[in-house]
Amino acid sequence: MLQLLVVLLFGVAAILGALNRKLGYAGMLVSAVIFGLVQFTPASYLSYFSLISSFVWVFVAIYSFSYGEHYGKWLSSMLPLTIMGMALILISTNYLVLITGWEIMSVPSYVIIALNKKEDMPAAVFMLFSEFSTVFLIAGVAYAYSISGTLNIIALNDYLPMLLISLAGLTKMGMTPFMISEWLPIAHGNAPANASAVLSSTMTLMGVFVIMRLVFLSPLVIYIGIFFLIIGGLSIIFAAIYAYISENMKMLAGFSTIENNASILSAIGLYIIAFSPTLRSFILIVIIIFSLAHSLSKTGLFLAIGNTGGEFFGEITGFSNRWNNVGTFLTTISLSGLFPTIGGLGVWMLLESFFMEAYSGGFTGIMAIIVGSVLALGEGMATGALLKVLSFGNLFHRSNRGRRSIGSFTVMALGGFLVFMLSISILVFPSSFISGIPGVLIFNGFMITSKFGSADFGVLSPDYIILLISVFSILAYAIFRKPRHRTVPVWNGGRDIADIYTSYAYSNNIRLMLRKILRTRIGNQNQSITVMDVFWYAMLRTGKAYKSVCKYITLRFMNSSIGWYMIYMIAAFMITLIISVELI
Amino acid sequence: MKWYKFGKPSGRLIGQVDEFIVHSDSILEVEDSTAVKRVNYHKVPGEFVFAYGPSTGGLMESVGFDLFTPGELINHVDVDPNFKKRTLQVKGKSVQDALLVVERINGFHSVSNSIAFASAVEDALGIEISDEIRHTRILMMELERIRSHLEVVKRVCEPAGFGVPSNQIGYLREEVSRIISRATGHRFFFSSNGVGTVHFNANGIVPALDKIVNEFDHIFRGLLQSKIFLNRLQNNGRAHHPNLLGPAARASGLSVDARMDSGTISYKDIDFNPVLQEEADSFARFMVRSREIFQSAEIIRSLENVGDFKSADISVSGSGEGAARVESPQGDLFYYVNLEDGVVEDLKMVSPSYMNILAFEDSIVGNIFTDFHFNWESFGIWVSEIGVEIR
Amino acid sequence: MSSIWFLEGIRKGRKTEKFPKASPKEPPLWPSRLEGKGEVDCPTNAIDNNAWDSGKCVFCRRCEQSYKPSLDQDIFTVKDTNQLFRKSFYLYKLDSGSCGACNVELGTIFDPQYDANRLNIFTTNTPRHADAIVVMGVMTDGMKEALQKAYEAMPDPKLIIALGTCAISGGVIGKSALPRDQYNVEISGCPPSPYTILKAISRARGD
Repeated sequence: MLQLLVVLLFGVAAILGALNRKLGYAGMLVSAVIFGLVQFTPASYLSYFSLISSFVWVFVAIYSFSYGEHYGKWLSSMLPLTIMGMALILISTNYLVLITGWEIMSVPSYVIIALNKKEDMPAAVFMLFSEFSTVFLIAGVAYAYSISGTLNIIALNDYLPMLLISLAGLTKMGMTPFMISEWLPIAHGNAPANASAVLSSTMTLMGVFVIMRLVFLSPLVIYIGIFFLIIGGLSIIFAAIYAYISENMKMLAGFSTIENNASILSAIGLYIIAFSPTLRSFILIVIIIFSLAHSLSKTGLFLAIGNTGGEFFGEITGFSNRWNNVGTFLTTISLSGLFPTIGGLGVWMLLESFFMEAYSGGFTGIMAIIVGSVLALGEGMATGALLKVLSFGNLFHRSNRGRRSIGSFTVMALGGFLVFMLSISILVFPSSFISGIPGVLIFNGFMITSKFGSADFGVLSPDYIILLISVFSILAYAIFRKPRHRTVPVWNGGRDIADIYTSYAYSNNIRLMLRKILRTRIGNQNQSITVMDVFWYAMLRTGKAYKSVCKYITLRFMNSSIGWYMIYMIAAFMITLIISVELI
Repeated sequence: MKWYKFGKPSGRLIGQVDEFIVHSDSILEVEDSTAVKRVNYHKVPGEFVFAYGPSTGGLMESVGFDLFTPGELINHVDVDPNFKKRTLQVKGKSVQDALLVVERINGFHSVSNSIAFASAVEDALGIEISDEIRHTRILMMELERIRSHLEVVKRVCEPAGFGVPSNQIGYLREEVSRIISRATGHRFFFSSNGVGTVHFNANGIVPALDKIVNEFDHIFRGLLQSKIFLNRLQNNGRAHHPNLLGPAARASGLSVDARMDSGTISYKDIDFNPVLQEEADSFARFMVRSREIFQSAEIIRSLENVGDFKSADISVSGSGEGAARVESPQGDLFYYVNLEDGVVEDLKMVSPSYMNILAFEDSIVGNIFTDFHFNWESFGIWVSEIGVEIR
Repeated sequence: MSSIWFLEGIRKGRKTEKFPKASPKEPPLWPSRLEGKGEVDCPTNAIDNNAWDSGKCVFCRRCEQSYKPSLDQDIFTVKDTNQLFRKSFYLYKLDSGSCGACNVELGTIFDPQYDANRLNIFTTNTPRHADAIVVMGVMTDGMKEALQKAYEAMPDPKLIIALGTCAISGGVIGKSALPRDQYNVEISGCPPSPYTILKAISRARGD
């Protein structure tokens, strides 16, 4: 009951937001903090998802104080409402609450996307896929009810509900068996940056959450694991390529989201096919670490992008400001494949689990090798894509003004994060995975080892690496003092610099190399190189069809404006909420 | 003027200098000094200009490239050979003094330049040269061609990272330089050729050259077996340009050679057919140059009557105008002189690089950055002979 | 294929000459040190008051009657060296307006006969990594800025090497690339022979 009250706090925030923007975001901040404190218990695996989510919400709330001023009160009202839906999912012990949360999460997001831009196609596409996922969810719940006879979320002896509800989660995560993985970037890319952050990092996290929830409760069938691995592998590679070549920064971040989610999904798939309990407990940590890295990274990325002055790389103007730098910092610290950041740790652990599974041989071993290679390839390209954002969004062509104060802020933030990461690694890792080799000055507790079979493989913990870097930096400074340096102008073959390197050129090698997959066309007069987005083309047509159906229904039954639709929506929420509470 | 007349265009286009548009048989005087030139290109959206050069370790000479690119792909290139544009004072000088400058227009092809200039002067003053001098000059030019082609083949190997063949060819090129040094006293033929005269000692050239050509044959065969190398050259920089000159033209199937159709230094008593390739890409240019090395060696072997030759200097006096065209290693090289009492009143030079640089600009479109060096080096363009203004 | 090329390289054996420890194997007649006396009509005034200035000479052979080439290749002046360059000496070549002959001859010192690499001499593609800038050719308007920028881009200590008569004095072509007192090393010849270049650069790095 306490949990439900905390969730309703978000609803209060939504009402406050409709009256006053700042009040709404303040309410959101307070609710998120309380939610995180109430929900988190170190012993419970699934409560880590709540912790990660509340962390993101706190960040977004603080950020929205300044950023939200660009938008109307609808945003400060709809954003907490969406979050309320997610909180409901996180606390649900009952399928009805889960469905309710699922819908409360989706519909305000639709409103946010629809109201942000004059185009309604992205919103229609988003809604279409939300409805898809709801259909899967309801089907799964119905089946679960038919075999267990209760709507409470309890252990099941059939895998079908898990599969159906997973499909709902997969749709929310932006990947489906039909490989139409593109609605998410387009929908997320068309929301305001703070909403994009919430959608991208926590809404997709809900997909992971429900899948994990059901995985723990269902019998594990190897085919589902293989199914997840295949979808994960395909989504990784395509999302990474499209992220790399994307010129719209928000779309890029959206593709990167899919790529991360696909990595998490393949970890879940591996969890299902792996029979070793050691490996399974290792993979569970991978999922949490990766989710944390992904959530931080995406929050940071959208914060950074929202403060560059435009959506496209070509539009980047203005000076770097605080939020831009904080966002960049968050992104960097969770950048995949870059040790010792948390993202680097996640990727290492993920690849390491695939290696371990490959050791076990057989069909699953081969599967692990294939998906692991695809994963490594995708992660590499995704790192390239994020570096594109960081370099073109922050490092290049920006004024140096104000760098100094930002620098000190960054150092402080780094300190905070070190403490945070330290606590995470202590909390998440069972002590069996933590060891050390005191003989070579790696003290106990500073090494992460994968205990699997006879061959252990390990990596220094991020804290230890940061410790080493700091110690050696201080040592070097103490010995050599401040380095001598001189400033010389850029050497450009003896000429002045007349033109600048573009982000488009940065990724054009991939456009040319993968011209078969991307359908790259060369030689148009105005736009020299065009990439045909095959998935989006199919998507657009489906979205159009959905829209015409909806139009027919609205004209027929509601025949009114968006205002009426909102009223209908809020009323519907209230009713479902009351019903579900009564059921509990 | 024995070989040229002013008037309507006749024959192939050789190039333009100031108000002269030069064809293989005629000189057309026009008002516009930029009639033969490249089209202006405007940047399209999504492109940026990648500046390469003028000063960089990767280029032999100072030349500026503006590569218009959306990234990797080259949509257009502007070659600016005028960074190192030299202003040479020739007019008003005596023929001998002018010759010192002419030799240094393109030092690596100096004998082609000095022979073309000397022939133009001989044409202006009506000096007949003996067959012996003509054969010696042919020998000198073929020797220069061998060395120049070796240099180009070496430089085509370099961007492929082929250290061994490029060093081995470098070794051979240096051996040719030493042959030239023994024969003329100077490694670049400087001051070995004059009006109506040559200083050249052909003794011992053929055996030394045979050794070089045999070694080159071995390297050449090795290169042709290397798929990696051929892949970098084939389909790279296709140039089907009607106005190509020299080896680049012969690589596109055009039977174009001043040795065939110029009266200046006649090859009429020498058995030779132009080396032709059809592909028109960097590979074809590499092939034409390599095969011409063997051909030139064959021509040198056939010139048995050339020995130690040092004719007496001729005093140059008189007036008149003359024009000459020879096949330099790079293509047709044209000289026009107007003498007034043994003093150069006017001097005009059209270098083969002039037309070939335009063809290069066309050929690179649609290639990617890594193709660039192979293509540029395969043309063997010398900037020093374009970026030059004669006063 | 690369392994076969490797064997090809081995098969050819050692082609490098002992120079500069031994005397040059095949020095060219022109350019080399001129010896003789008398007043002659010199196009570049390299012979003035019976004294021969190698930096002005284009070796045009007009004075051949009174001045004879001696095959001596040591026609260079090294005004500055630095012991720091002994272990590695990186050259950045800059063509300010040459005929191309100097460019080829500078490249020749890396060919097997001379192999400058064995003397720790290398070339670099950017002035940022260079110890010395090798200036070739006369001064041209277009390259003035590039030369200035390249020099500024180089880290200290640095040398300026003038290669060839054009760079030193302008020869018959034009004006010298830089005033003569700015050069740390002058390598004479039109163009200088690889022997001269190799020995001069080897001296410049403190040998």
